[in-house]
Amino acid sequence: MRKDWDVIVIGAGPAGLAAAAAACDAGAGVCLVERESRPGGILKQCIHDGFGLVRYGEKLTGPEYAWRDIEAVRRRNIPIWTETFLLELQRAGDGFVLTMQNREQAVFQLTARALVAATGCRERTARQIFIHGQRPAGIYTAGTVQHMINIQGYLPGRRCVILGSGDIGLIMARRLVLEGARVEGVYEIKPEPSGLTRNLVQCLQDYNIPLHLSTTVTRVLGRERVEGVVVCPADENLRPLPDRGRIVPCDTLVLSVGLIPENDILEPLGVELNPRTGGPVVDQRLAANVPGLFSCGNALHVNDLVDYVSESGEIAGRAAAAYALGRTQPSNHAELVPEGDILYAVPGRLDLAAGGKAVIYLRANRTIGNARLTISAGDKTVLRKRYPVLRPPEMERIVLDLADLPAGAGAVKLSLRGEENG
Amino acid sequence: MANIRAVQKALDALGIGKLEARPWRRSVVLEGRVRTWQDYIRAGYAAAGKGFKGVVNDIEVEGLEREREYIPPVRDNTLEGKQFDVIVIGGGVIGCAIARELTRWQLRVAVLEKEDDVAKQTSSRNNGMIHPGIAPARGTKKLHYNILGNRMYTQAARELGFALERCGSLILLEKSWYRLLAPLAKQQALQKGVDGVILLSRREVFRREPYATPAQRGGVLLPSAGVVAPYDVTVAFAENAVENGAQVFLHTMVQGFAMEHDRIARVLTNRGRIRAKVVVNAAGVWADKVAGWANDRFFTIHGRKGTIAILDKKTRAYQSGVLAMPRLGSKAHTKGGGINPTVEGNLLMGPNAVEVPWREDWSTGPEDMEFLLSRHLPLNTRLRPGDIITYFAGVRACTFEEDFVVEPSEYVANLVHAAGIQSPGLAAAPAIARDVAEMAVKLLSGVMEVRPNPRFNPVRRPNPRLTDLSLEERALLIRSNPAYGRIVCRCEAVSEGEIVAAVKSPVPALSVDAVKRRVRAGMGRCQGGFCTPAVLDILARETGVPPTRVVKGRPGSELVLAPTKEPGEGSADA
Repeated sequence: MRKDWDVIVIGAGPAGLAAAAAACDAGAGVCLVERESRPGGILKQCIHDGFGLVRYGEKLTGPEYAWRDIEAVRRRNIPIWTETFLLELQRAGDGFVLTMQNREQAVFQLTARALVAATGCRERTARQIFIHGQRPAGIYTAGTVQHMINIQGYLPGRRCVILGSGDIGLIMARRLVLEGARVEGVYEIKPEPSGLTRNLVQCLQDYNIPLHLSTTVTRVLGRERVEGVVVCPADENLRPLPDRGRIVPCDTLVLSVGLIPENDILEPLGVELNPRTGGPVVDQRLAANVPGLFSCGNALHVNDLVDYVSESGEIAGRAAAAYALGRTQPSNHAELVPEGDILYAVPGRLDLAAGGKAVIYLRANRTIGNARLTISAGDKTVLRKRYPVLRPPEMERIVLDLADLPAGAGAVKLSLRGEENG
Repeated sequence: MANIRAVQKALDALGIGKLEARPWRRSVVLEGRVRTWQDYIRAGYAAAGKGFKGVVNDIEVEGLEREREYIPPVRDNTLEGKQFDVIVIGGGVIGCAIARELTRWQLRVAVLEKEDDVAKQTSSRNNGMIHPGIAPARGTKKLHYNILGNRMYTQAARELGFALERCGSLILLEKSWYRLLAPLAKQQALQKGVDGVILLSRREVFRREPYATPAQRGGVLLPSAGVVAPYDVTVAFAENAVENGAQVFLHTMVQGFAMEHDRIARVLTNRGRIRAKVVVNAAGVWADKVAGWANDRFFTIHGRKGTIAILDKKTRAYQSGVLAMPRLGSKAHTKGGGINPTVEGNLLMGPNAVEVPWREDWSTGPEDMEFLLSRHLPLNTRLRPGDIITYFAGVRACTFEEDFVVEPSEYVANLVHAAGIQSPGLAAAPAIARDVAEMAVKLLSGVMEVRPNPRFNPVRRPNPRLTDLSLEERALLIRSNPAYGRIVCRCEAVSEGEIVAAVKSPVPALSVDAVKRRVRAGMGRCQGGFCTPAVLDILARETGVPPTRVVKGRPGSELVLAPTKEPGEGSADA
């Protein structure tokens, strides 16, 4: 088996699969490394539909969506090391050395000129949002519940409370009901839901599952198994009001309280992370500050739709191939500075030397109406866009042609201003 | 000199109701009623130090909810009529260390533990400090056993194969003028037997700990301080005891003694009545209750809860050893906790200290976290609340005398107490165990001939841990057993092979939490989100039970309730 690669992609979820196919199409020798036994990432357990509307113009289930990318990788004869765990990642010369282990080859090393980190994200846990009480069985993140039900065929609980109105939480509320469990309610500390509108309708309203806004869980009751939770209203600063708590009996607490991009394995490389997104700071080629390192998918920032995960994978794969094959110019970076009502924007900088079109993903930091987005460099405004309404759960995607920027632009401003209660 | 009038006067001075003190044997018994738990505690301490051997605090607290003590839901006769030379009650670090010491002799030794595993209560719910011995007062058993135990850990770690890191402890001084007292403190520490005391200036502290709080005005470095994983230590003692012939019975709760004159004739349990020549009371927070069954309750245990927060492994680089900044003059019966490294490569902070009426209530509350965040986190300027990956609480088994009880009973011929073991109990464990074993052997010598165990092997071969191996060793292990090639817990890089080995070890790990304590699966930053389902399947396969019977810890903590595709009870549409 070949040991030296132009591009190695870490993670064979939708981002990694798309990156590998794109790198291959750009002429690079590429392989994939995956710690699970099958490619497809978290899509394997997402058996609901709604994937692929943007990319394919049709509604697919998660496994169907993943299947298309897996087939694309197979057709290109791109090798995938499955159940293979990355032990060490080091820079060597102008490339990378990956030390890995699996059952068959024990411990082995591969080298690559360029690396695409498509390592996805993990879920925030009960302790990370300071839920107190003892530690009985029956407290799970939504993704764990999804794995138990959809992959393993186990029902984790019969009477469930869901904390957090993130998309996986909403989807699992419906899934639990379909499996015969009772969902007492979905509780969200914020005054507005975090999930997509379509999931609020299709998963909660259609199944008569109550959604309690500005309410959170502060305590778990029970010693061996969860026996109930204490729910409390929260004030506008998201602080629970303990005097107004009440007990909701249940045997399971399901958490959908946020996702954290996983970039821990990149830390030894000295990668610069954006504290807002949890992902590397990248330019429009999705190149990080470490030469030859590219990031995509939910490891870069948490996306609302898998279609954008795939798109970022393609961008990163193509750029990694160009880098590995020596087709890139020395870069000339301008910062992309978000202003106003922007929660975050990716990329964080633009490589003016590379040129081309930059796909910019952004989220508003609150629900706003009549919003105006402008991109400007110096005193020149290069792009204007209006939105009737923007909500933080829904990501916006805009395309900026770098040719529109004035020569020698130092910083590019990305500004969003809207009105409250849109 | 025991002075009952002094006790009565001290109680009266509290002004918390009509309380009475009466002498019993060499101890003092307190009776009456108070309104709050805090008053109960104050009364107990008011009676201590008045010349009595122990304080038995039988004061009632009005309206106090009685504790739901855990009773294993098992009742059978598997142990009925069994005979042992020594029964050790309690499978914490003290009980397991004692059992291992006893196996140096040719004895039939049994450890009875009511929980589903060893190291379930205080022994897995502490900060893992091997204290240097600077804190206990001179003349106390705490000091004696702390100093000896600290030294014994080096050999214990080598023989039993657990990690011990002597990272040193740095006590930061809060005020400049403490520097004037420091030389005196150093002299006292050396007189106590502390192995090495080094005074550091403010600048020297920063050289050692660049991120130490700028509030520090110098410090006292105690190089002999170390850290261990307390559950590792307990399991190591237990496994080596089992390898040398001892037996550990889980889910086995002592519920009383059948006495014959001044001897315990039978130990009554939920699994039958057992005969023992000698009984060792290492029952942790319930040691006073166990003593009471033998009519030898000359002390009362009260619970003091401490909450500990674990920080992400990223933070380990920000600190080299233990950091603490005790507030002098505070009356709290604790060193106040601090920030420690762990042998697994995290930092942890805490514990705090809160008097609690319930001894098995390990719940945490927002006030505990607020305390840790305001008092401990600022000791290291690089740490952020977001670095916390989990937190938990433990309950210290304290007496009002604030000292260990390590002695043969004065009134029961075949009972040895190892009670009131709180901080620095973990550090003291090897030394306490050696003495208690000797006491037990001495008692046995009156009724049988006790011979050394010629097959005793102090060396335990721990199961391999991938993260401790070089890449070459790792490759060899995987080739010999490919199960070590499959990583199950991605955060802590734990393989299937390690989990299977833990299930098959001398004290088998039969629950998800037991697996976690043995191999760290689920202890990382995702807190088991990814590996719990996989561990569940491995446990089901290796123990031959259906997945719906796999538990997190105690019976009743099943993780999944039913297979899907079967109608669940309480269906919303039913």
